Amino acid sequence: MDRRTFFRNSLGASALAGSYLAFGGPRDLLAGAAPRILAGPVDLVAVRGGEAAQMFQKGIEAFGGMSAFVKKGQKVVIKPNIGWDVLPERGGNTNPKLVGEIIKQCLQAGAKEVMVFDHTCDEWQRCYKNSGIEAAVKDAGGRIAPGHAEGYYHDVAIPKGKVLKNSKEHELVLGADVFINVPVLKHHSSSRITCALKNLMGNVWDRGYWHGNDLHQCIADFGTFRKPTLNVVDAYYVMKRNGPRGVSAEDVVTMKAQLLSTDIVAIDTAAVKMFGSDPKEIRHIQYAAEQGVGRMDLENLNIKRITL
Amino acid sequence: MDSVSLKRSAHQSRGELLQYIKTIRVVVAVVILILVSVIFLDFTGSIPASWTSGFVALQLVPSLTKLFTGLTLTSLGLVFVLLLTLLVGRVYCSTICPLGTLQDIVIRLTRRMKRKKWYRYKKAPLLIHYGLLALSVLSAFAGSMLLVDLLEPFSNFGRILTNLADPIVVSVNNATAFVLGRFGIFSLYRVPLIHLQVVVLLYTLAFLAFIVYLSAQHGRLFCNMLCPAGALLGLLSKLSLYKISIIEERCTDCGFCEMVCKANCIDSEAKKIDFHACVGCFNCIDSCPTVGLTFEGFWKKKTIAAPEPVNAPRRAFLGALVATTSAMIVPADSTKSAGTPNQVSYDDSRWMPVTPPGSRGRERFSNLCTACQLCVSVCPTQVLTPSLLEYGIAGLMQPKMNYSGSSCNYECVMCTQVCPTGAILPLDPPAKKEVQLGKAAFVKEDCIVITKKKDCGACSEHCPTKAVKMVPYEGKLFLPELNNDICVGCGACEHPCPTTPKKAIYVVANPVHLKAKKPPVQKLENPLESQKDFPF
Repeated sequence: MDRRTFFRNSLGASALAGSYLAFGGPRDLLAGAAPRILAGPVDLVAVRGGEAAQMFQKGIEAFGGMSAFVKKGQKVVIKPNIGWDVLPERGGNTNPKLVGEIIKQCLQAGAKEVMVFDHTCDEWQRCYKNSGIEAAVKDAGGRIAPGHAEGYYHDVAIPKGKVLKNSKEHELVLGADVFINVPVLKHHSSSRITCALKNLMGNVWDRGYWHGNDLHQCIADFGTFRKPTLNVVDAYYVMKRNGPRGVSAEDVVTMKAQLLSTDIVAIDTAAVKMFGSDPKEIRHIQYAAEQGVGRMDLENLNIKRITL
Repeated sequence: MDSVSLKRSAHQSRGELLQYIKTIRVVVAVVILILVSVIFLDFTGSIPASWTSGFVALQLVPSLTKLFTGLTLTSLGLVFVLLLTLLVGRVYCSTICPLGTLQDIVIRLTRRMKRKKWYRYKKAPLLIHYGLLALSVLSAFAGSMLLVDLLEPFSNFGRILTNLADPIVVSVNNATAFVLGRFGIFSLYRVPLIHLQVVVLLYTLAFLAFIVYLSAQHGRLFCNMLCPAGALLGLLSKLSLYKISIIEERCTDCGFCEMVCKANCIDSEAKKIDFHACVGCFNCIDSCPTVGLTFEGFWKKKTIAAPEPVNAPRRAFLGALVATTSAMIVPADSTKSAGTPNQVSYDDSRWMPVTPPGSRGRERFSNLCTACQLCVSVCPTQVLTPSLLEYGIAGLMQPKMNYSGSSCNYECVMCTQVCPTGAILPLDPPAKKEVQLGKAAFVKEDCIVITKKKDCGACSEHCPTKAVKMVPYEGKLFLPELNNDICVGCGACEHPCPTTPKKAIYVVANPVHLKAKKPPVQKLENPLESQKDFPF
């Protein structure tokens, strides 16, 4: 470990109380600001008709390549959905091939290391293994880390939150230069749909609080905390009902689609439309737009559509 | 010539392997102790269940219990132990039994601390020993495993490992994982400990203190006074082919063998060894300065005599009466009917224990479980925890499913594969998914959706069969609705429910496990594959 990382970690751990008072989002500042893509020519890229890795390659090209997001020597953290102990074809977790391709591209762009984790719902080792993601991460040259114990999570304040005022976020995200959010699009019995905004719930320890205190509002509140550097929505296998876990393979359609955007609200809006529902009916997307987390007006955005 | 070289030349002149017998015994005992410990303490799930199951088949009392649930491959373990004892006596007690090895370690470590360093021949306490065995057997047949649970050595050792050793091992692991994590190394991961129960921990500590004291002060007294396995094997070792005996021509009456015999079974004056009490440690053979003890076939015996047992049957019978009445202390409602798969009575008590899949029902499970905690140790979600009085006093420390902090993984069958007594029988995943351990019960008035008028849905989210579905409610809210036909009673709904102090949805145990229907599977109405364009 290098000194810079050690200092950053110890500073973060000890200065949390002070920085909480002085600043709104302490970890952001201490971790180093993630390179934000400024309003470039493209706001959202939608791809369909190819294999997951292939679609990502085309999609990221439209943004100017992975190097638009990852600079040499940076620490990248990828947060896919690894929540459930189901096989990839069931659409309960992010497609492992997509995760693998993103890791490869980050390393090619010069990332120092690429870490992957999730706070799973089912037993974590089974999830990591049966989703195929653990193997895909190792094959691609990334590193997978656990997220199942409270000790990995640290207090953060959410000043713009209406109901969710503080939480405990995983230390990997707190220490990351680049944070890539890679949800899988599917039906969800609690939030109707789960996509980019809901996927951030896997970054925190105390999910029970969100369920007990207006789930939709908490999802939107957490969206105000730290915006991912890039969102990639996996819509290859899409679970249309009985989500988030699914009951059988009959719940899944092979949609073979993918979305990329830096705007987490816009990507959710587009994804919900592709799912076949009305984004205005999904309250957490509505709240997030109202709170300034992102935009729902797709008609005013620069969207690149790619069919393979 | 000094005594050591005298011994060596005597052994060599007889060309015997006897000089190594104690060393062999020690090596085997240590290896087996390590293997048993690893099975209980491994939290990574790396050890295949079939290895565990095969290895614990060697433990006498659990294997014997399992025999009553049917003949299986693991019954070979029991056969092996019985044949071994009929061949060479109670070597089981000094090699295979982990509690025996633990006692030997204590004896060795405390040897210097004892004022009285040497053992003396004592008549075996047959009345107590066989009385307890009779009581244990009779009460087990009458339905209570309590006496067996408390006395059986493997289960006691299992509890020591699960409740005392495991937290230490896990704490060391977690501390190391924390330190490594600071350096960005995640090869070790933290393990939460949620299956601990304070009273069970205290009991285990008390038992450990007891066995340490007993062995330090009195050698293997537990094995010859309390242990049911020892009593059973003692009956067989009286008939064994090979026995330890004193060679009269070589004996110099020094009495050394009697002084080192931790089973107190050698009468050096009469040159007799009470072989039924001998625990097969071979310390005597190793210690005799003139190589005056040997281990040979009974047909060569010179001086073997076992004292006639005191006539205990009448007292044992009276004791059995007491045992049968004490076995009647079970929860009153265990006689209630099982009910149909989808009917739930809201009067059912929330504390009634849910038994693991493969146990088939509460009464059967409690009648066979020795509370060794092996299932608790291997459970990957730590949903199995030791109980206190939920099974009645007769079921002290037997495990139950604890859904407050965890639930049973839909695909997992670990506990069914390792149970040494057959209290939990093996299931493969498809069969396990059809077992209904209990039925979900929903208390609408407590639900977040009703009390706070906000969306929640944590219960339905985790349900693997969607027996809990969210249906439209007032305004835009969604409320849970149950279909108990397909509920498997896994607790996935109960554990994430955020309602305090009591969960709004919980599992009511099926006293006898029922069959869950498979979740209905229909084709999707409007699959989107045909869509070519983007809807924006």
